[in-house]
Amino acid sequence: MNSLDKKKRRFILLSLIIPSTLLICFVVFPAIDLFRMSFTNWDGYSETSRFIGFENYISMFKNKDLWQSLRNNAVYFFTHLLMIPVELAFAVLLTSKLRAAKLYKTMVFMPYIINGVAISYAFSYFFSPINGAFDEILKVLHLSMLSHNWLSDPKIINFVLAFVSLWRFSGYHVILFMAALQSLPQDVQEAARVDGANAWQMFRYIQIPAIMLMVDFVLFDNIRGALQVFDIPFVMTAGGPGYSSSTFTLYTIKTAFTFSNFGMASTMAVAIMVMIVVIYVIQNKIIHGLILKGDK
Amino acid sequence: MRTKRVLSQLLKQLLCLAMVAVVLAPIVLVLFAAFKTKADMVKISPLLLPPKSRFTLENFRKVLNDKYLLVGFKNTGIILVVSIFFNVLFGTITAFIIERFQFRFKKIIVGLFFAGMLIPTFVTEIARFKIINGLGLYNSLGAPIIIYVASDLMQLYIYRQFISTLPVSLDESALLDGCGYFELFVRIIFPLLAPATATVIIIKAINIINDMYIPYLYMPKNGLRTLTTFLMNYANAQQGSWQSLAAGIIIIMLPTILIYLFFQKYILAGIAAGAVKE
Repeated sequence: MNSLDKKKRRFILLSLIIPSTLLICFVVFPAIDLFRMSFTNWDGYSETSRFIGFENYISMFKNKDLWQSLRNNAVYFFTHLLMIPVELAFAVLLTSKLRAAKLYKTMVFMPYIINGVAISYAFSYFFSPINGAFDEILKVLHLSMLSHNWLSDPKIINFVLAFVSLWRFSGYHVILFMAALQSLPQDVQEAARVDGANAWQMFRYIQIPAIMLMVDFVLFDNIRGALQVFDIPFVMTAGGPGYSSSTFTLYTIKTAFTFSNFGMASTMAVAIMVMIVVIYVIQNKIIHGLILKGDK
Repeated sequence: MRTKRVLSQLLKQLLCLAMVAVVLAPIVLVLFAAFKTKADMVKISPLLLPPKSRFTLENFRKVLNDKYLLVGFKNTGIILVVSIFFNVLFGTITAFIIERFQFRFKKIIVGLFFAGMLIPTFVTEIARFKIINGLGLYNSLGAPIIIYVASDLMQLYIYRQFISTLPVSLDESALLDGCGYFELFVRIIFPLLAPATATVIIIKAINIINDMYIPYLYMPKNGLRTLTTFLMNYANAQQGSWQSLAAGIIIIMLPTILIYLFFQKYILAGIAAGAVKE
């Protein structure tokens, strides 16, 4: 028995050593190092850096451009939030009796797997001010007066970019909701139908409770995603004009790799991590409260 | 009753067709542009194809003749094969051990892997950059490979879920028959994981092909372009000439779209598995 134990221990050790080392060196350690760096003025290349206490944190809170960027993140968050009912509706639709459902399912998820950079350029073309397709569509619909500089008017730019984000990620949520709906046992639905439940009652009392956990996940994914929006504004507008379409992550990355202020950027990275955790905890409480209420 | 059913089916179809139109519009319109000459970009509505006589493949020819496109395919291919190989190797064995064995520090190790999923991706590079640089991996294919292998651990969820469906008696009888632990893993467990591995390979491939940030940050050298950074460079060089860029966009979109259309089943299975964790 003893030799078997020894063998087992050797097997576990040998197998886990490389993956755990990699994880510690390239994921855990950098995350911890961000905390340390957030109290320094490191510039990214010098041998030394100075400990400056909470200076970065104080100037972060005073940074107007950063707050502007965070407000832009909120635009993504709320547009995605408003989209959840639509995504749910499509999930119910695609799991119901529907001709060509398979084809539609393929379509709804396709944007998620398409190259994000390619899509960002495609939408830059779509919304371009000269010979842009979107303005042309408006013209065909006799709505030319709605034409705008979609990608340079600070008032609407974030909504345009958030739309691109919706286009890319909504299908992912639809697929998740569909998976949750399909995990619902058929006999429960059948029994409800036999008892005379109509479509709305089925939705409200059987399907919704079954997918609350998935709604929970999608909400969290939404928060995490909205706080980390990066490649769409990076490719389409580079955060401009000015900082009008910058996002928190975009600003953070710029602070590090463009302005060589790694200390300050680390502070912002810490802020993102803290925000994600705090919102996750709060949201978990609220959602779990709702689920418990639904059970009563 | 019957008319009601027909009507509701009609309404559903209309909603779905509208969705398809929204999904396809930006792609189809870019495709239209890719077939146009510079003059026709102005003359012909962006919503229409050019007349047959003026249809051009010149834009595609230009992208395909760019020597860096091949470089991009080659680099993306190398990164893909090496990182996925290690992702599968480490993913299967880690998931197997976490699912099947009790050992000291197990909680800590599982906790670390879970933390690895929560840590935000983009901003971690601020600290990771220093490490990669220190290892001399900046401007080498090693940088993205080691990052893809070490982080993004969605495969653990897929494998753990799959392993938990395999009967434990399988391990026990193999061990009783005098099979060693490594043998048990290589001969019995790993082959049984093949469906999960298919999912992992395909999802990882799509993620890696589509990733812009890591190659952009760590491999600015021309010879190290990937498909995605190739497109970024190509776009900068085409300043305002949408028809050439359009052809580039289409070509870069194609690989993942094709993978998706062929292996959809595996992708959708993995996407749902990755979300419903713990």
